[in-house]
Formats: sequence, structure tokens, C-alpha cells
Amino acid sequence: MKMMETAKSATGAIGSDVKTMSYIEAITEGLMEEMQRDERIFLIGEDIAAYGGVFKATRGLYEKFGPMRVIDSPISENFLVQGAVGAAIAGLIPSPEIQFDDFISLAVDGIVEHAAKMRYRSGGMFTCPMVIRCCYGAAVGGGLFHSQANQAWFMHCPGLVVVTPATPYDAKGLLKSAFRGQNPVLYYEHKRLYRTIKGPVPTHDYTVPLGKAAVVREGQHVTVISYALMLHRSLEAAEKLAAEGIDVEVIDLRTLLPYDKETILKSVEKTARAVVVYESSKTMGVGAEIGAMIAEDGFSFLDAPVRRVSPPDAPQEPFAPPLAEAYLPDANRIAEAIRETVAY
Amino acid sequence: MPVSNDELKGLYYYLTLVRTTDERCRRLFKQGRFHGTYFSAVGQEATVVGSCYGLRAEDTIGIQHREMGAAITKGMPLKYIMAELFARKDSPDRGKSHPCHYGWKPLGIITPASTIAAQTVIATGCALAYKIQKKDNVAVCFVGEGATSNGVWHEALNFAGVHKLNCVYVVQNNLWAESVPASLGVPVEDVSERAKAYGFPGVTIDGNDLFATYETSQDAIRRARRGEGPTLIEMKTYRWYGHSEIDPANYRTQEELEYWKKRDPVPRFEKILMERGVIDESYKQATMQRIEREIEEAIDFAEKSPQPEPHEILEDVYAPLV
Ligand SMILES: Cc1ncc(C[n+]2csc(CCOP(=O)(O)OP(=O)(O)O)c2C)c(N)n1
Ligand SMILES: [Mg+2]
Repeated sequence: MKMMETAKSATGAIGSDVKTMSYIEAITEGLMEEMQRDERIFLIGEDIAAYGGVFKATRGLYEKFGPMRVIDSPISENFLVQGAVGAAIAGLIPSPEIQFDDFISLAVDGIVEHAAKMRYRSGGMFTCPMVIRCCYGAAVGGGLFHSQANQAWFMHCPGLVVVTPATPYDAKGLLKSAFRGQNPVLYYEHKRLYRTIKGPVPTHDYTVPLGKAAVVREGQHVTVISYALMLHRSLEAAEKLAAEGIDVEVIDLRTLLPYDKETILKSVEKTARAVVVYESSKTMGVGAEIGAMIAEDGFSFLDAPVRRVSPPDAPQEPFAPPLAEAYLPDANRIAEAIRETVAY
Repeated sequence: MPVSNDELKGLYYYLTLVRTTDERCRRLFKQGRFHGTYFSAVGQEATVVGSCYGLRAEDTIGIQHREMGAAITKGMPLKYIMAELFARKDSPDRGKSHPCHYGWKPLGIITPASTIAAQTVIATGCALAYKIQKKDNVAVCFVGEGATSNGVWHEALNFAGVHKLNCVYVVQNNLWAESVPASLGVPVEDVSERAKAYGFPGVTIDGNDLFATYETSQDAIRRARRGEGPTLIEMKTYRWYGHSEIDPANYRTQEELEYWKKRDPVPRFEKILMERGVIDESYKQATMQRIEREIEEAIDFAEKSPQPEPHEILEDVYAPLV
């Protein structure tokens, strides 16, 4: 399927000093600038040093910052995160990289019990500023064990910030915010977007706030809430529907935890209809939370039930091309769900 | 390096303080003055006192449920130990975690979680930071023998071996992991053998001999400070009571317990100091009086400290978002 480059910048006012770059270039540049700005930041992960990472997200950083700030680690996901927790409480700002989301299960103890709870469990004595970068996502032919999107697991972990950008602008801006706060941030980067998405990025320093969604397309008839790859497909669907006279508002969540209820509810108050479009299996996915929240806090706004558009309840993502093709919703499936919601 | 009389007196003070506090905490728990759980380490005191005595404020210790004595010897004020057990507002964790999760940032005592072995791993991460920061701080990382079968413990030691981190790994082999004997937990006689796999020295010592635990730890700490890498010290010891206060420890024999009670580290050390004339009966009495007073003051502080209030439930979940 061809990737549509419909992504607009989330924030609008980018200014004139911009250059165009890919999603992955924005990440690399973000890392580079943050490491230059704050020498407490170091990266640690498998194959990230001279090799530059399996997707080359850390290309050039080892040469620039040397072996004490860009560390090739043994295959020890659990240590990667827990060790980073230790380094964080000792005064550094670590950025461990989990090579694929499919291996993050080995690091769950570190993320959930330690990074996310360090502040709470110590009554605020210890903080854990760190940025766990994790590459995820389907639609690259990765099969069952190189495609997962496990964001929903971590949306159940108070203390953790979970972000996932859809555009180069947000990729860099969210990364910078992640490095500048005191919270542990799980920074999810979508591998399908790495090189398929290009966009304008300011040449000056800027940040994108954590915990804030963005209305990336304004509309009157229905609110679509999405993020990352699915945001692009939702925007594609919105374009199709515009031709039919359906005016779709599209929200990019950007931060999945703690997420921006206000922006969602404000939009649903206006449109009275909501569709949540997300990656990974349907049950207890991102849409379960967003849908329940709208039902709880925005029921009186609604003229139709909240719809979830997602892959089916099968592991993400089966390998054989016909199965993979049938897995993630495409713009047509999303458009169909939106039509039904509007017609309800 | 010969151990000076001042050091011996310091060690004696902490050994006695840790023993007396531990026995007192058991009573407090049984009296229902604090709730939840309590993990006694009576019988094991020489391990933690020997490895923590003389550490610098900026050194780190990674401890867990049974290492109250390590926190005390590192210098954590007794009143905060008690406030932690009582889950009061003045506890360093503000009542958030649960009893026996001692932490105190000013002295690098990392507030633990319950996941076995994690404290070792996080402290290893501190040592990685020391290397990057070019500091000669040391991380002393504690586990029981049971925790050495946990995968992440291996990941940490492997990493520390690769990077020659300033770590001292103290394994308190007390023969039991809750109800599981060491024979079913580790396939080697001495856990210290495992160090070989990580490329650094491992030694097994009598964990109830404070001279041995102190001197061996001091050697390992100095080695680490010089940047020569980690050491694993296995200290063979024994806990007299159950895994926690609700465990009657029916899985072990009376003979085993008696065997180890005869090797009580406290009178053993005291006797030698008496024989050497480092301390005498009146010094002992004065020390005991001081300790009793310190413990009473700490309990008083904890009991007078207010309970956390319900609205605090959301405090410290997040730092402000940026
Ligand atoms: C990962 C994990 N599994 C199980 C437990 C439950 N648990 C708490 S202490 C313990 C035994 C620990 O034995 P050992 O490491 O020898 O330490 P000791 O209690 O003897 O000091 C167990 C199984 C736990 N806390 N964490
Ligand atoms: Mg044990």
C-alpha cells in the first residue's frame, strides 16, 4: 500500500526557518542536539554505536560523542532499562533503546516497577528522568515478532509518559521535551514512518509539549482520534470523505499517557461523534480507554456510539502478504467506519 | 591494612545496633504496632555491617527486604527506618511503598521495589553512571542466594564485568529462599563460582565473622575505587527466624538452627574485642544504653508522625510535564 504524505504539522505555526526532513532524520537530529545541549544524556542499546542502530536512527552519534555516551550494550533488555534507572538516579539522563517493541516484554520489570514507580515509591526523593526509545509497528513485513505495537500495555502504568509522534516535527519536538523533564518517557517511534514521512522541521530549537494532543484537521461532523501510522491513514480517509461532504476532525494524540482528555472532549462536544483508530489488536487496546473515557465524561455530547477501528484480535502482524494486508485497517476501512458513524 | 581500634568500636556499635533494632522491630510487629510485614535478618548482621561500614555518603547501596542493617550502617537515621516501617508521613517514601523498603537519598540508599535482584541491577546502573562521570564512588549490591538465579542478576553482573564497573556484589547465602533450600536454587556449592563467568573474582567467606566480612569488603571496595572492576563476595550465613514474621519456617530442622545459633556473629565479635581489650563490660553497658535510647527515640518519632492523608494518593506519580 502506498503511504500518503498527508501529515500536516501538528502545531501549525512552524515559521519560515524550516527544512524538510524524514521522521528518522528528525529523531537523529533531536538526539544529536539534545546530547549537545546536555552532557548528562547518554545512549545505550544494541547495535547503536558504530553501527548506528538497525534502522540507523543513531547514525553519526558515536563518532560525535564517543563510547562513553553512545554505548553498545549486550543483549540484555532487562538490564538496559534497570541499569538506566540506576544511572538516572545517579544524576545522568539515560536513553536506552529497545531495538523492537517485540522484545520490550523482557524489559517490563524495569519500565513498570522501577522507572515508572521510582518517584512514587520513594516519596519523590528519587526521580527517573530517562527516555526509553522503542521502535515499533506493522506494515513493514516484519511478521509476528518484528511488528508489535504494545502501547496499550504501558498506558496502564501511572508514572510513565508514553508518546508516539506521527510527523518529523513532533518526532523532534516530543523527543526534546522528553529529555528536558523529570519523568521517564517511553518514546515510541513507528518504523513504517521512518522513511515514508517527510515534513518541515524548524531549524531553531523548539519543543512539543508532553500530554497535549493536536487537532491536525478541523471538521464539523465527526472526530477521529488516532496517532502515528494510523493518523496518516485516518487523514487519508478524511480526504476521501471530504469529497462526499463529510467533514472530519482529526486529533493526533501524540502522548498516549497521560493523554489529553480535554482536547478530545472539546472536539466531541462539537462533532457529537467519535471514532478511535489504532494499531494492534482490538480488545483492551488504546481505543478501549479513549472510548470508555468519552462514554464516561462525554456521553451527553454523543449522537452515535463511539466506534473503534483497529486490527482484529489476532497477534500483530501475521507475515504472509494476504494476511498482513488484511491486518491493519487501511483508509477505506477507516472511511467506512466513519461513514457509518456519521449516518447513525 | 590493620583494622584500628576505632574501626572495631564503630563496627561493634553497628553490629549491636542492628541486632537490637531488628529484635525490637520483630516485637513491634508482633504487638501490632506496625502492619504489613517484617523481614528479620537476625543472625546475619555481620554481612551488612561488614560491607557497609566506612562507605562514603556518595557511595550507593542496592538493598532489599532483609537489608535494614545495611541502611542503618550506611547511616540512614533510625527515625526514618521506623517511620518507614510504620508507613507514616515522615517516612522517606511518605507511606507509599511497604514495610522494609528502606531508602534514603542523601546517603545513596536506593528505595527498592519487591522484584528480587532488581536492587543489584539498579545499583549497577549507578556504577555505570560513576564510570561515565569519572567518579570513584562505589555501588555495593546486595542479594540473597535465591536472587542469584534470577536472569537480570546475570545481565547486571555480565555488564559490570564487561565495563569493569565499581561494583561490589554481596551475596548473603543464608541457605534458604523463603522455603526453597539453596540446593534447589543454585547448582553450585558456592555462589561465588558464578563470578568466573563474568570475568571478575568471586570469594566465599564466613558471613558470621565480622572481621572477614569487613576486611574482604574493604579490599573489594578499594579495588573498585581504583577502577579495577567488580568483586563478588559470597557470605555464608543464616537467618534465625522465618522468611517473614508470619513464616514459622517449618521446612528446616531444629538441628540446623542450633548449629547456626552457635555461630552467632554478635557475641563472637564482642568476645574478641573484650579479649583484645578494645572494649570492656562498662563500655558494653554504655553502648547498650545508648542504643536503647536511640531506638526508643526513633519509635517515638515514628509513632508521633501523622498518617498520610488520602489526598496524597496522587502525589509523586509524575513530575510536572514539560
Ligand atoms: C521476582 C520475584 N519473585 C518472587 C518474589 C517473592 N520472594 C520474596 S523474597 C523471596 C526469597 C528470596 O530469597 P533470597 O534471595 O535467598 O533472599 P533472602 O530472603 O533469603 O534474604 C521470594 C521468592 C519476589 N519478591 N520477587
Ligand atoms: Mg536466602
